Order: sequence, then structure tokens, then C-alpha cells
Amino acid sequence: MQEQEIIELLLQKNEKGIDALLLHYGPLMRYVIAPILQNPHEQEDCLSEVTIRVWEKIEQFKKERGSWNAWLTAITRNTALNHRRNMLRCGSGAELSDDIPSTEPTPEEVIVQQERQTEVNHALRQLPPKERMLFYRKYYYLQSTAQIASELGMTERAVEGKLYRLKKKLRKMLGGEVHG
Amino acid sequence: MDNRECDSIKERNFDTMLESSVSGLPPEDVVVEVTPWRKAMRRVLAGIALCTITLNFLCLNYILPAIGMVLSILGFRSLRRENKWFRNCFIITVIRAVYFFPLLILNTTIIQSTILALPVMSVLTIVNLLLLIVEFFCLWCGLRAVQQKVNLPPRAGGAVALIIWYAFMYILAVIQYSGLVIAGAMVIGYIFIIRNIYKLSKELDEAGYSIQTVSVKVTDRCIVISLISVLIIGCAFGYIFGGSYKMDWSKVNASANAEVEEIKEQLIELGFPQYVLDDLTEDDVAACRGALQVAVDVTEEPLNNGGASGDAKELLITGVGVQIPGERENWIIFHHFLWTIDPGFYGTEAIQLWPAYQGVSEGWASYGEVTGRVLYDDNGEIFAAPYYFLGNQTFTYNSIFWGEQTNTDIFAAFSMPRRGENYRGYIAYPIVELEDGYIISSWMNYTHQKSWLQYPAMTAMEKRMTNSWNDAGAFITIQDALQLYPEDEGTEIIK
Repeated sequence: MQEQEIIELLLQKNEKGIDALLLHYGPLMRYVIAPILQNPHEQEDCLSEVTIRVWEKIEQFKKERGSWNAWLTAITRNTALNHRRNMLRCGSGAELSDDIPSTEPTPEEVIVQQERQTEVNHALRQLPPKERMLFYRKYYYLQSTAQIASELGMTERAVEGKLYRLKKKLRKMLGGEVHG
Repeated sequence: MDNRECDSIKERNFDTMLESSVSGLPPEDVVVEVTPWRKAMRRVLAGIALCTITLNFLCLNYILPAIGMVLSILGFRSLRRENKWFRNCFIITVIRAVYFFPLLILNTTIIQSTILALPVMSVLTIVNLLLLIVEFFCLWCGLRAVQQKVNLPPRAGGAVALIIWYAFMYILAVIQYSGLVIAGAMVIGYIFIIRNIYKLSKELDEAGYSIQTVSVKVTDRCIVISLISVLIIGCAFGYIFGGSYKMDWSKVNASANAEVEEIKEQLIELGFPQYVLDDLTEDDVAACRGALQVAVDVTEEPLNNGGASGDAKELLITGVGVQIPGERENWIIFHHFLWTIDPGFYGTEAIQLWPAYQGVSEGWASYGEVTGRVLYDDNGEIFAAPYYFLGNQTFTYNSIFWGEQTNTDIFAAFSMPRRGENYRGYIAYPIVELEDGYIISSWMNYTHQKSWLQYPAMTAMEKRMTNSWNDAGAFITIQDALQLYPEDEGTEIIK
């Protein structure tokens, strides 16, 4: 089944779209989830969550802003990160109470974060494609050094070396200690 | 808190900051490339395509398959953990590489044609081709297994088409089909098959996210560098140590045979050049016993583009005809060569002889075996060796005008040592008159190897047997003829 057909089915809220999504894009979603959530049960829970979110947010997908794979990757990654965050909160054994200061960012922090995002994106655009790819594997897909190494046909030590040099370069591009 | 702890916190903060800075949609090129499948599969496909392409110029028929073989190894190496079929593909590719890369090195030596002609090599070639078919079968099964793993309908028709295509090619090779129609159709078919597999690989990207890659101890780069290093070193050794014949040199002692000395004196009186006479074996001198007349023709031929000075004629060629007594008119023909300066490159040399009885078969016939030897001087001493090869050789070549031709000629093949000077040699053969009134026309083609730069390595004799141009690649050939009209009152040399 073609990508467009699946999108159409999802937009029509046809449940066949979910089946097709899991059949054709399940491997991609599992691939994105796996480095973030190691537990197989958690991975399956998260996959269900992602499916629901895709079902709910399919209207937000705009081809002009990025490809279907990019959108699916982003939604899967962010759902997996939220899932992990929620697990960590639950794992602490304490319910969030009103006494505990909220972890949500303040408006000032949001502005600072946006500025940082702009700067990082600008720096990333200046990186050679291979280094940019390495950056995304490490900081977007959150892949382990072992996974990056095996997929790129390199040793872990070589990947660590490349990541070290990449970080050094980015630190310099972003203005040194300010962001550290 | 010490500095180390402080640095560690800083690092973690920086990592967190980087992580949180990229939460939107990833760039398209990143989405396309971040998959455990694409790179490996593209390598495998490129490897298959390159191993099949045969472009017979600039050594591309060796370079492209070599690159293809490396790509296939790297591609299947990444996929080998995924399923047993890909593992088999990897093992088969490694076995084929073990056969292929030593052959590339062997091709830099002049023994390659001898080794490749061995029956065992024919068997190995067939096994290699069968392994390729088995590899495609495993690839087909491997692709289907990847799809089945994620419940996608299995389909990999391109790989099956590739098996059929190769099987058909083998059949065409066995029946030695040389027509253009089917060959053209096969090329078009091949392009379609590769396109089909490429498309399939894109479709398989969906399933490819599920594959397991292997952690590596040796990097791809390390494998490539090692292979290239082994090839370069192996080829260098091949060119240095495998580019010349092993000659059986021995010191020449002064002749103590009084009869031979007497014959020599007589020959000199008749005008036989002393420098040629000194190089003859006692048997060849003795064969000239009772010589009636001697005809000599000396020419100088340029090789190596005239040497350092540009106008030197490095090779002194002396043709000598000696009439000896007999019931019919008998002659012994000598073709002698002498390098007057350093030959430059020391590879292989060859002499192709077109004897008088070959060109003028109505007038002359062979009257014995071809003899000869090669010599050089070193520190005032003379060394001699029999030719590495001396005798008749039948060979087949393709002529632009006449198509495939088969000839039998007399060849003498040899190598000269790097030490020494005055490299020289001769070939001699007796003829007998069949009918009066014919000229003696004896031709000698001297082929000199002027450079190591050739692949696969050929000997001067092999090059000559391809009927190539006189100045072709690493070899140059000069022709010289001894032509004379024998008469009782004095032989006339024809210039």
C-alpha cells in the first residue's frame, strides 16, 4: 500500500489505516522507539501510544513542512521521550503535588530555548553532511554509540572520537562555555 | 566539587541542551539516511552491478569488479547477522574474493597465462560462477526473509531475474555466441533487472528498519585500506619479481677445441664477423665446417625511442648466411643481435623467426633444428644461457581483415639480467635448396619490453602472438631481414 493511501485512510478515520500504518511503518516506529525505551513491553506500549497520536493528529500533517517519514519519525520520537519522562516521574514513587515547583519551563526559559534552537540549527546547517548525520543519530534519534557504530561500520571508539570532535566543534560554533 | 566532576556536569548539560534543541521535524536527508538497511543494501546492489560490467579499456574490466567485490563484502558484512541467507551471501562473497583478489595480483606476473591455462583453474572458474548463482539465490531468500519478518508480503523477483540472466549468459558463453542481437537484449535486460532491484530496495526500506546490524571490531575503512594495501604490495612484488624469465646463466670458458678454432679462422677469412662468431656455440661453429662462402648484412635499429640521446640505434642486428658443402645447396642462416647500450627495462624479450623456407617454400626447406643462445658480459667475464623458450609455437589471433587466424612460427624467448652489459644472442638454422633460382629471405622480428606498465602482464612472445602493432603498449617490435641471392660466382645481398 502506498504512503498516500495510508494517509487518506487515516484522514477518513478508517481503521484499516491503522493496520496499514502498523504493517508498513511499524518497523520505522519501532526503530525510533528502541533507543529511547529499552524495555520491550514499554516499547510496545509506546507504539500503541504513537499509533493513537498519529490517528488523532493526522490532520496536522502537511507535506509542505516535511515528508511523511519525517513527520512520523518526529511524532514517534517525541511520544517515546514523553513516555520515558512519564515513566521516570512514576518511578520516583511520588505524585507531583502543588508544593513541588512545576518543571514546566517559564516564559523566559521558553524564549531562551527558542534562541538556542535557532543557534543550534544554524550551526548544524554549517556542518558537513556526515557530521550532521552523526549529530542527529546521537541527539535526535538518541542512538547508543554501539548502534551508531554497527550501522556505520565503525568501531565504538571511532564513533566516540568523532562525537567528541563534533561536540568540540559545536561548542566553538555556539560560543564556548556560554551554552555549557 | 572537583574540576573533573564540574566538567562532567558541564558535558551533561551541553548534551541535554543539544538534545532539547532538535525536537522538530528532522531534515529530509537525515530521515532518508538514518536506517540500518539503506547503506548496506546500496553497497550490495552497486557491488552486483559493478561485478557484471565489463568495459575492456583502461583496465576497467578489473577495477570495476574489484570495487564491486569490496562493496559486496561490506554490504553483506553489515547484514550477515540479520538472517542465515545474508550470512551465506557474506560467506560466498568472501570465498569469491579469496579467488578474485589473488588473481588480480597473479595478473602482474608473466606466469599468469600458464597458471590460468591449468585445468584446475577452469574448475575454479566454473565453481566461482556457480557460487555467484548461489549467492543470488541466497540474496533472494534473504530479501524475502526480511519482508516476512515484519509480515510484509514477500517479493524479490529482481533477484530471481538476476539468476536467470546469469544462467542464460553462461549458456551463451558455453556455446560461444558472438552475435549482437541477443547480446544487446541481454544488456537491456540487465539494466532492467538492476533497476527493478533498486526499486525493490527502496520499497524494502520500510522493512529494512527491522534488520539487525553487527557490531564491528574492524571498521569498513580498515578493511578497504587493508585490501588496497595488500593489492598494491602484491602487485608491486608481482611486477618486480614476476616480470621476467628465470634464465639458466653460466660462465663461458674459452674454447680448447683446436678443430673449432680452425673452422673459426676459416670463417673469418670468408668474412664472418668476429663478434658474431665469438658468441656461437662449438656445435654451431662446427656445423659450418668446410664453409664455401659467407654473406653478411648488418643493420642498426632504434629501440626505446633512440635512448637518452634520442638518435641512438641501440640494437645492432647482423644477418649471416654461410654456404656449406652438400649434395644440394646448403646454407646456415644466423640472426645475431647486440644491445650497444643499456636496454632500459629488463622484462621479457622475444624473437619471432620467419625462416627462408617459410616465405619461399618452393625454393628452400628446413634441414635441421633451430639453435641459439643469449649472452652478456659482467666484469670482463662472459655469461651465456639457452633461450627460455626456443621452438615452434602455434597461436591464434584476430585479424581486422581476415578474422581469426592460426599460425605456427619459430620463437625464441628470454630475459636479460639487470647486471651486465653487451647483451646479445643469436638464432641459427640450416636450410637446403629444393629448386634452383630462389632467393633466401629470412626474417627476424625482435620484440623488446620497454616498460613494466601493462595489465595483465604479458611476455614479449605472448604480445607478438596477438599480432598487435609493432609499437604497442609496453612492447616495441623491429623487423630485420637477411635477403640474399645465392650464386656460385658470389652471393648478392639484397637491401
